[in-house]
Amino acid sequence: MKIDKTLILRLEKLAQLELGQEEKLTLEHDLNKILDMVDKMNELDTSEIEPLKHISKEVNQLRPDEIRNQVDAKAALSNAPDHNGVHFKVPKVIPKP
Amino acid sequence: MAETSTYETVIGLEVHVQLATQSKAFCADDAAFGAAPNTHISAISLGHPGTLPKLNEKQVEFAIRLGHAIGSEINANNSFDRKNYFYADLPKGYQLTQDRAPICIGGKVAIKGSNFNKEIRIHHVHMEEDAGKSIHDLDPKHSLIDLNRAGVPLLEIVTEPDFRSPEEVDVFMTTMRQLVRYLEISDGNMEEGSLRCDVNISLRKKGAAEYGERCEVKNVNSMRFARQAIEFEVKRQANILNAGGIIKRNTLNFDPATGVTSPLREKEDANDYRYFPAPDLTPLELSSEFIEKIKTNLPPLPAVLYQQFTKDFALSEYNANLLTQEKAVAFFFLRLSEQSKNYTGIANLLINKVIPFANEQKINISEFPLSAKALTDFVQLIEDGKVSSSLAYQRLFPALIESPDASPLALAEKLNMIQDGDDDFVSDLVDAAIANNPDKVKAYQSGKKNLIGFFMGEIVRASKGKADPKAVNALLRDKLS
Repeated sequence: MKIDKTLILRLEKLAQLELGQEEKLTLEHDLNKILDMVDKMNELDTSEIEPLKHISKEVNQLRPDEIRNQVDAKAALSNAPDHNGVHFKVPKVIPKP
Repeated sequence: MAETSTYETVIGLEVHVQLATQSKAFCADDAAFGAAPNTHISAISLGHPGTLPKLNEKQVEFAIRLGHAIGSEINANNSFDRKNYFYADLPKGYQLTQDRAPICIGGKVAIKGSNFNKEIRIHHVHMEEDAGKSIHDLDPKHSLIDLNRAGVPLLEIVTEPDFRSPEEVDVFMTTMRQLVRYLEISDGNMEEGSLRCDVNISLRKKGAAEYGERCEVKNVNSMRFARQAIEFEVKRQANILNAGGIIKRNTLNFDPATGVTSPLREKEDANDYRYFPAPDLTPLELSSEFIEKIKTNLPPLPAVLYQQFTKDFALSEYNANLLTQEKAVAFFFLRLSEQSKNYTGIANLLINKVIPFANEQKINISEFPLSAKALTDFVQLIEDGKVSSSLAYQRLFPALIESPDASPLALAEKLNMIQDGDDDFVSDLVDAAIANNPDKVKAYQSGKKNLIGFFMGEIVRASKGKADPKAVNALLRDKLS
């Protein structure tokens, strides 16, 4: 796989980012280097090795079904760029992805 | 009018069930519906940096319960993934879901209607979380966001494309609602969005083996809308196909106000959710003991109770269906059936009196004021011919509700309702009715046989409801002939 200008534009859109020309070039270069590294690793035969599912060896980190640690609306809204005291206010956003 | 008769409609569903847990799927916020906006929230559901999700053990148990009930294979090695998209009611920028390793695999649900009796195959069931709620019509310039629902646990049930009509979809959703309520994993309330579905619709020429390209109608939250959306889509797609066009895969929104579907998103970006393994959630490994234990504790399911009610108790299909709609009603019937073998009598009493009373009073049937013994004694009074069924239903039953501790027999005696099966008593009444209506007797004897009803009415009235209608009828026919 190769990262080209078209793919950068598509990723920019999917990630909701606005990149400058310079940044686009840097990103294209960096992403290609990452993919080269992955290609290098793919040269190894891993067919006999169990895939690593998670970086930690822990499994089954569960919690009991209990209500706790809630915050109130005032605290939640305090960081918002815009609100009406009850709801977060955002620019009208339709359609939904 | 589109010509649709040459096509077969093919439908598959993605059903979302909101689970009746106390807290959310991956954080401990209250999961209840209907609170003041933005009060059931926390740093985790708000998507603040540095917070860690942790799975609710109840969600796992509920998912396995459903899996057992529909005959799924339970996946012992679960993992979670991030489904990435940007929207204001999804503060984290991704939804936690199970893309690669869903908890339930396969299964089937039987559905039965007036012209179908089939099984819908289930592809899989996976665990995920709900998004918050966007309100678009309260503020002219802004959308308003309520994050109470963000993170509420969901099960998504994905069916195979086995439906051929809106009626089948309707019955399936009703069956799922009944099932999740029996399992006590959801309230199944469609109005509050606890049960909703995305509908995938395609057409193919009748007899064709290949499926046509499908369109998905999102977030249909009532059966009426599902039917309207399917009917609209069938016509829309048939029009395109008839004109020689091709259907493009698309996601559509259904507008209940107009009954019309319209495209929801630009198709070049469709479904590019860039799934990847959720780094903050450890894998979930289920032991076979844990999975089996949940199976052992499963309640009796509606289909099994229906079989029992029609086969063992010889109830009509109609009665058995009514009595198995809700688990509480079915269990109430089972309790009464332990005290009396007059199953049809009990069924009639529940359907005609007890259930309507509980509905009117808005109480659970288990809180019904009369004891199981009083109810079965009541049924026995009618069965033994001691009180006529009309008198029992219309007057004795309301009197019992007023005095729930009284014995039905004692109360019937006190209210002078005991039916007189005594031959002389009935015979005298029949004689009197005949003597008082010589012209009607003549008319009856010359062929107007339906006058029997007139005589019956006279006699039952004269007896103040105490004459056994069966005995009166027999004697009357005898004496008039």
